[in-house]
Amino acid sequence: MMARALSHLAPLLACLGLLAIWQAGSLMLNTESFPTAIEAVRAVPLILGDRESVINILDSLRRMAIAFAAALLFAVPLGLMMGRSRLVASFFNPLLMITYPVPKAALMPIIMLWLGVGDLAKMLVIFLGVSLPVIYHSFQGARAVEEKMLWSGAAMGLSAPQRMIRIVLPAALPEILTGCRTGLVLALITMVTSEMIARQSGAGNILFNSLDMGQYDTVYAMIIIIGAMGIGLDAAFEKLRSRLVRWSEPGFDIPLSFA
Amino acid sequence: MIEIDHVSQTFRTSGRQAHLALSDISLTIEDGAFVSILGPSGCGKSTLLYIVGGFVSPTEGQARVKGRAITGPGPDRGPVFQEFALFPWKTVLGNVMYGPRQQGVKAAEAEAQSRRLIEMVGLKGFENFYPKELSGGMKQRVALARTLAYHPAVLLMDEPFGALDAHTRTRLQNDLLNIWERDRKTVLFVTHSVDEAVFLSDKVVVMTRAPGRIKEIIDIELPRPRRRAELLLDPRYQKYVVEIERMIDDTSEDGLRP
Ligand SMILES: Nc1ncnc2c1ncn2[C@@H]1O[C@H](COP(=O)(O)OP(=O)(O)OP(=O)(O)O)[C@@H](O)[C@H]1O
Ligand SMILES: [Mg+2]
Repeated sequence: MMARALSHLAPLLACLGLLAIWQAGSLMLNTESFPTAIEAVRAVPLILGDRESVINILDSLRRMAIAFAAALLFAVPLGLMMGRSRLVASFFNPLLMITYPVPKAALMPIIMLWLGVGDLAKMLVIFLGVSLPVIYHSFQGARAVEEKMLWSGAAMGLSAPQRMIRIVLPAALPEILTGCRTGLVLALITMVTSEMIARQSGAGNILFNSLDMGQYDTVYAMIIIIGAMGIGLDAAFEKLRSRLVRWSEPGFDIPLSFA
Repeated sequence: MIEIDHVSQTFRTSGRQAHLALSDISLTIEDGAFVSILGPSGCGKSTLLYIVGGFVSPTEGQARVKGRAITGPGPDRGPVFQEFALFPWKTVLGNVMYGPRQQGVKAAEAEAQSRRLIEMVGLKGFENFYPKELSGGMKQRVALARTLAYHPAVLLMDEPFGALDAHTRTRLQNDLLNIWERDRKTVLFVTHSVDEAVFLSDKVVVMTRAPGRIKEIIDIELPRPRRRAELLLDPRYQKYVVEIERMIDDTSEDGLRP
């Protein structure tokens, strides 16, 4: 019981600990460009109370959501097909090998030349950032599907496309969702960096503009807000994930007698 | 009728070696016959089943069902795999219902049928368990029920009772015989148990150590319906078992002294 309560409190304690170290550090360094934790935390409600800022942040989230969804719609089918067809894999693998190590935000200036500084360019960068891990994990997941499972389906009369959707997809789902989780975090990162390069609106825009203007408490407050969004999104996704693949979780019904 | 006509199967292993798994197999299985295949591990029993199932196409020769060459799997031939291959994201009930639903049986009817089958294989009360939560023997029984559920005319069973305790095994053997006698299915049955093969079959095929060839085909002329208790005391039954066991011993010896 005790251990359980503690494990719920642990993340909170970790956050408080981090803030405490920050507070002590900034008091010791005592420079203007490193505000104390208390100053930064105090600036958070100021930002969230400002209509303009909230619109900016929501704008960021909207772009991120659209690009994330589009990336899943593209990357999951592609990854699954690569996993089941040698031909498709040998065609796309080299392309992915080339794109994988390129920081997607570094493509931003080029993409801006084509698509301007608007939503489209930013969403494309997020799309690219999310797609790669999702393709990779879908590929691995599809490749690992036990062949006899597909045979069983074929014997029941499932056609090849039906086997793809009704056997490969669910069987690979745990692996796909692992990729999606990585993709979600990458979406947030590329979202902020895309707005750093194409300043126009968004959470990244607030952050880097206040940095230019020397409003350091706002800078750090934005970092806290973005970090909190990351934690929130990840927690929400993890909740969804564990519901969707309850059947694959190791021993999810076994009581933890030694806890 | 299933005809296996001079079938050979060569596998190319990852080490780029050619490996002869089946060598010139010819076998005819009449409609409604119960045929067992016995042979040492690795002699190609599963491979032969996969060829009849249409999952693997033979490198040489041809397999036919009702006179037509087998080009792929179909719901007329239902496999029960050695590895079970259950759908892990489906519950026991979901797995068993999968086939009938695919064949267009209405949900309520498919469920009622499936529940009866689950009860028959002794898994009543486990309908909502996931495969992960079952023992090996339980999974094997779900795999059996899942295949029976879509009523294939031919059953291709790969050691379907291998993971069961003696008691459950005997019960399921009887259930299988009842189904077979009622529906007159054709059964191709791989097993390691000579007892089981003689008890169930019209014909027992004994294979040699790899590369698998047919060593002998024995017709089991015991009256039906067969009852285990009576059969065990029947000298004809005992003679078959002893004779086949001796044959298998010989095939193993072949392997020991090449
Ligand atoms: N996909 C494959 N690639 C290469 N070799 C294979 C493949 N499948 C089977 N083999 C080989 O074919 C031979 C026969 O295998 P098979 O699984 O049919 O044997 P089996 O008689 O069913 O054995 P067991 O009783 O142990 O199940 C084995 O030597 C095996 O190594
Ligand atoms: Mg086998």
